[in-house]
Amino acid sequence: MSTDILTISEAAALIKAGQLSPVELTEMCLSRAKAFEPELHAFVTLTEDRARADAKKAEAEIKASGPTSPLHGIPIGLKDIIDTKGILTTCQSAHNIGNVPDTDATCAAALDAAGTVLMGKLTTHEFADGGPSFDLPWPPSRNPWNTQRFTAGSSSGTGAAVAAGLVLGGLGTDTGGSIRGPAALCGIVGLKPTYGLVSRAGVAPAAYSLDHIGPMAWTTEDCALMLQALAGHDPADPASANRPVPDYTAGLGKGAKGLKVGVLSRWHETDRPVAPAVKAGIDAALSTYESLGAEIVEIKLSAMQEYTAAGFFISTIERGAAYERMMLKNPEKFGQRYRDRLVFAALCTGMDYVQALRRRRELITEMAAAMAGVDVVLTAGNPDEAPPIDQVPRWDNLDKPNFTMAFNLTGMPAICVPSGFGPNGLPVAIQLAARPFGEAVLLQAAHAFEQATPWRHRRPAMLGLAKAA
Amino acid sequence: MSETISTEAFQVLLDRAGIRVKPEHMEEMRSAFMLLQAMRERVRKPRGYDAEPAHIFAPMGR
Repeated sequence: MSTDILTISEAAALIKAGQLSPVELTEMCLSRAKAFEPELHAFVTLTEDRARADAKKAEAEIKASGPTSPLHGIPIGLKDIIDTKGILTTCQSAHNIGNVPDTDATCAAALDAAGTVLMGKLTTHEFADGGPSFDLPWPPSRNPWNTQRFTAGSSSGTGAAVAAGLVLGGLGTDTGGSIRGPAALCGIVGLKPTYGLVSRAGVAPAAYSLDHIGPMAWTTEDCALMLQALAGHDPADPASANRPVPDYTAGLGKGAKGLKVGVLSRWHETDRPVAPAVKAGIDAALSTYESLGAEIVEIKLSAMQEYTAAGFFISTIERGAAYERMMLKNPEKFGQRYRDRLVFAALCTGMDYVQALRRRRELITEMAAAMAGVDVVLTAGNPDEAPPIDQVPRWDNLDKPNFTMAFNLTGMPAICVPSGFGPNGLPVAIQLAARPFGEAVLLQAAHAFEQATPWRHRRPAMLGLAKAA
Repeated sequence: MSETISTEAFQVLLDRAGIRVKPEHMEEMRSAFMLLQAMRERVRKPRGYDAEPAHIFAPMGR
């Protein structure tokens, strides 16, 4: 087994130089997957044969004419709510046992077209909500930094697999924080793009108007490389944006000089006070940006609870509509946590939904005005380190506001970037958000912070690497 | 809005939706329902009847 784990950009450079073959790289990842999967449960399906076939194909293509993209020959994984032609796609639910789609989701096809190596389908909460659940056909994923801890969700397997180097990048989906939460708790980078930038076609819905698909990887640069392959108009998605796709790597390395960084102190100090390690990460990020020449400005928004409440009703009711038939016919096939979410959907009213949509318009207007004068806003990614996996509250989404939902509600792009470690040795993260379709400046700001801090040099201790924690 | 709901009233809501909840989960669900009531208040603000929702309908050719 390799003593080191490469990022996508590192591997791409070696492949391009002829110093690393996709077959060799894939075997490294398969070896790690087999070694750590019994503890991590990151995969629902490890597609070993497909991975080897993809790697051989990529190797032949690269030998013949060089790599066609930085993702050519790179091992990746897909959250198991993303359709894959001929490959089991379970949504981690007994309802979908035996579900083998006959087409790829648009996002899966895009990564395939970029030459990636498909390692497999990654663990999720049931239909991307409710978990961690222990009453499903597959166990929940475990956090590589401490396998007794939660990964967050619902893109839990992608978070674990990337952190442990079982894949170099992966896709998550995010309806209220399901990319950014696992990124924060697993110590990786997770980007929720602007609503409509990445096609949702072929991805099981969680909530139609809040669902986003995005990259999760070890670094900001890797997320930019993946987004480049994913972004673009798709007529098969009625919400797909039809606009030019910029170069998402163009701003990487430009630093933060001249950027305006807004800080939402109220959210992490008053609305949901964060743990000291998270607060320290935010303070350090502000100092870092100042030292890099950015201007820090305080911005004011409504309480985070306002955003969470509107998002809760919209997500709950849209989810209920999507899965109503299954709930009424076979409720016992759902795990308890997801079934409870669907019960709540049935208890909401049509007026709850429309009132939430009216609130949504008001909050979008408010946030757009607040962000007009800044390039990015800074807040927490998650309020604390990962909790023990068996102590995750069942009603946390009702009881406490979360830091991520606001940007699903407004559709604005947001990214979680590691900002240190807490007293339990687990990662914490900051979250940055930008104006709609502002991914390039968002990635620039995230990359500037990442490059100025040492957090990308530590890997989970379970991997036994020289640069592990 | 009321901040409590009786077991009987909660059962009526479940029946209306056609949802079955196991007896051993009823009390926890009823307690959690109280949290939902608090969120209902948050999305209902004083606003004119002409305050539009966020979603729009885009007719063909728009």
